Amino acid sequence: MKRMRWLALVSVLALVIAACGGDGGGDETTTSAGETTTTADGGTTTSVEPDAEFEGLALESGGCDYGGKIDSITATAENEVVFNLCSEDPAFLAKLAFIPFAVQPAEHLEATGGSPLENPIGTGPFVLQEWSRGSEIVYAANQDYWGDAPAFDTLVFRWRDSSTARITELTSGNADMITNLAASDYATIEGDSNLQILVDENPNVFYVGMNSNYAPFDDVRVRQAVAMGVDRQRIIDTFYPEGSAVADFFTPCIIENACEGEPFHEFDVEAAQALLAEAGYPDGFDTTIKLRDVFRVYLPEPTAVAEDIRAQLAENLGINATVEVMESGAFLEENATGEQEGIHLLGWGADYPHVTNFLDFHFGGNNPQFGDINPDIVETLAEGARTVDPAAAQPIYEQANNLIREHIPMVPYAWGAAADAALTTLENAAVAPVGAPQFFSMNPGDADLVFVQNAEPISLFCADETDGESLSACEQVLEGLYGYGPNGEVIPKLATECAADDAGLVWTCTLRDGVLFHDGSTLDANDVVASWTVGLDASSPLHVGNTGTFEYFSYLWGALMNAE
Amino acid sequence: MIGYVLRRLLVAIPVLAGVLVVVFLLLRLVPGEPCTAILGERSTPEACERFNEANGLNEPLVVQLGIYAGNAVTGNFGESIRFSRPVSQIIIERLPVTLELTIAALSVAILIGIPLGIAAARRHNSPVDVAAMAFANIGVSMPIFWLGLLLAYLFAVVLLGTPFALPPSGTLSPGSRPLPFFEVWGFDLTEGFGSTIAEFVSNMTITNALISAQWAVFTDAVRHMILPAVTLATIPIAIIARMTRSSLLDVLGREYIRTARAKGAGDRRVIRRHALRNAMLPVVTIVGLQLGGLLGGAVLTETVFGLAGVGTALFEAITARDFPIIQGFTFIIATTYVAVNLIVDISYGYLDPRVRLE
Repeated sequence: MKRMRWLALVSVLALVIAACGGDGGGDETTTSAGETTTTADGGTTTSVEPDAEFEGLALESGGCDYGGKIDSITATAENEVVFNLCSEDPAFLAKLAFIPFAVQPAEHLEATGGSPLENPIGTGPFVLQEWSRGSEIVYAANQDYWGDAPAFDTLVFRWRDSSTARITELTSGNADMITNLAASDYATIEGDSNLQILVDENPNVFYVGMNSNYAPFDDVRVRQAVAMGVDRQRIIDTFYPEGSAVADFFTPCIIENACEGEPFHEFDVEAAQALLAEAGYPDGFDTTIKLRDVFRVYLPEPTAVAEDIRAQLAENLGINATVEVMESGAFLEENATGEQEGIHLLGWGADYPHVTNFLDFHFGGNNPQFGDINPDIVETLAEGARTVDPAAAQPIYEQANNLIREHIPMVPYAWGAAADAALTTLENAAVAPVGAPQFFSMNPGDADLVFVQNAEPISLFCADETDGESLSACEQVLEGLYGYGPNGEVIPKLATECAADDAGLVWTCTLRDGVLFHDGSTLDANDVVASWTVGLDASSPLHVGNTGTFEYFSYLWGALMNAE
Repeated sequence: MIGYVLRRLLVAIPVLAGVLVVVFLLLRLVPGEPCTAILGERSTPEACERFNEANGLNEPLVVQLGIYAGNAVTGNFGESIRFSRPVSQIIIERLPVTLELTIAALSVAILIGIPLGIAAARRHNSPVDVAAMAFANIGVSMPIFWLGLLLAYLFAVVLLGTPFALPPSGTLSPGSRPLPFFEVWGFDLTEGFGSTIAEFVSNMTITNALISAQWAVFTDAVRHMILPAVTLATIPIAIIARMTRSSLLDVLGREYIRTARAKGAGDRRVIRRHALRNAMLPVVTIVGLQLGGLLGGAVLTETVFGLAGVGTALFEAITARDFPIIQGFTFIIATTYVAVNLIVDISYGYLDPRVRLE
């Protein structure tokens, strides 16, 4: 532990010295790129030769026993960063593209004490001009953007929490685009020739879970009966907006390898009744349907959907279920501890577009909400998580999906659709399935584009934020090594490429040349390492942020380095 | 008089302390943790532990209360859990918006409510009286949320393109960036209490534009204020009109009014010189209470019209379990109530010389 702290301290000192124009690190322990360091578990972390002229920073864990996925991040040359992983991660690029891992100048992070909450400096298509707290955020087009600069001058973010109020903003011409239409508002938009609906294919799933540690759901025949005894299409048709679909698989098909294998069981009341009788419940049984009454895209009307499932279970299978609406926090806590008996309604929205984000989290063996997951599923997913090549992973996920279909820890119900709306005069208006709307490619036809979202961002330092409103606002200013394209694809941004070695443990990222930050400074590899140090290294004096938890760093990369 | 005011201020201390303690304890009883509300539902137990530790939420309740009360005495309401910003700074940003809205709404309410009440009283049991009271009854029972949405739709969408069109939300048009008055005046106010006051005043959009002669901004700000002010004023108009009417009717039945009429005073003179001032005593009480109520109760109006005031800040803070903001704003609202009540009591002495404040 002492060694880890020492390494972290030296890394931070090097960062500070570099920021002050000093001659960098270079002592015998680490920090200068290219040195080979023995880690606590006996491995070596640095494998790339240094650039003779460049004083590169390094962030090193001191050994993978800290529990995280990243062993070290090293600036090996001005335009090259090397990530050494503790284990293979096929979702590495998909995660890297997530906006919390955006890059800011090392000097700016230092100057703001690791907490640039209101004054981010990025490389993105828009430059923050002013955040008028409570009212709006104003951005100016970045004329020095490395890509195509926006076709308009000013982007304004505003917020209204009700869908009706957002529509009034749009129809009154106060806004060019609004987010999150309520299902009841589709008709209003469709009936106005000046407005257009923008379908949001954000990957998500609503499922009905059953904990196999409690009877009668310990019998797979009961679970299958529940799967086949409810008409999911009826629920979609009644309660979901246009564009939603019955979930044939747990992971939405927009994600690569998500929909391999057999689709889920279809609605068949007679077969369901037979299974239930075979399991010893010809007249059904008593159970509970637990849920929280919280709107999500994957479950827009929780209580109404629960009531419909209850009615169908009673009518089709004789199952007498009681609907129990719980307080959200209590519901999630009971769910996370595996103590939720009966049936529960929950869902998932993608953090990053990779099948592991859906399957591994739920069925990887560490989530007790469904009881004990079949070991075959766990082992198959573990194999998938070691397979970096998507083509090689395809048969693995086919097998995983078939095993989930066979053991039925839950029933996938719906892939919920959401929609934004815009004026028809807004050219190229679209919603990317992953990440924020890409305003830089739109054209309002005049100097200003006004966007109204649900709520005000909490801060504009998204390394330490989790709410979608903050992430959307950040994404206009900040960029990471990778980002998400208009169709949710993972595309290079500040890196031209990140390539893995054969073992999938070392990722070498080459930075794009000539990229300027909004303060005029030039992007280099040390900015990347510094940005990651602030988020990932809990012992760094710059590990401050807003709440200081850097939730996505610990959640997506396993753990924070040097945490107490 | 001074002794009376001092005594009232002393009495206010336990009242405010009680408010602090009750709000503090009630917040801790509400289901839901700040951690999951702020970090999101996928927050890990470890992250929550760090979060609670950093925000002092792991301390025993008594210790938390002691720290909070100690800080509050010195005017320090702590830092927002959600924004990592001083609550006092957020108050400086948000209170001016609500203050300006409240003053505008109350002005509308007084300017419409009192004449309406007088008209109804002067023509007691006439169609004017019935119409005025019907209007007051509708006003007092109108859901603010519904009325606000209706007005916004009518003036921002239906009347779009006409001279009557009004913006549906905000304090200014998107992208407007008015200068603070002190910058227009050429003052460099960057620190100290003076800068805090200056920032507070400059956050009152209409006032700031007015005193710095930014006329385009002023016009824009006034246009944005009309709908929320009218919406918020609806209930007070009704209450003030009803109170003015009943109070005036009561006074008009007194003997000294009959004497004045017998001496040949005209109706208008009787009301202006003899009746109105005496009839205003209960109206002033109601107006005072409305002012306090409007400050705390503007939440719906602010939400409907997207105004960044105390109401929306409080609503968002309650949703996010941001305890310091809730406590700070509640304290401010409670203090305003106490202050307004005191001012109302003092004003009695001026309106009715028979009232002695002892």
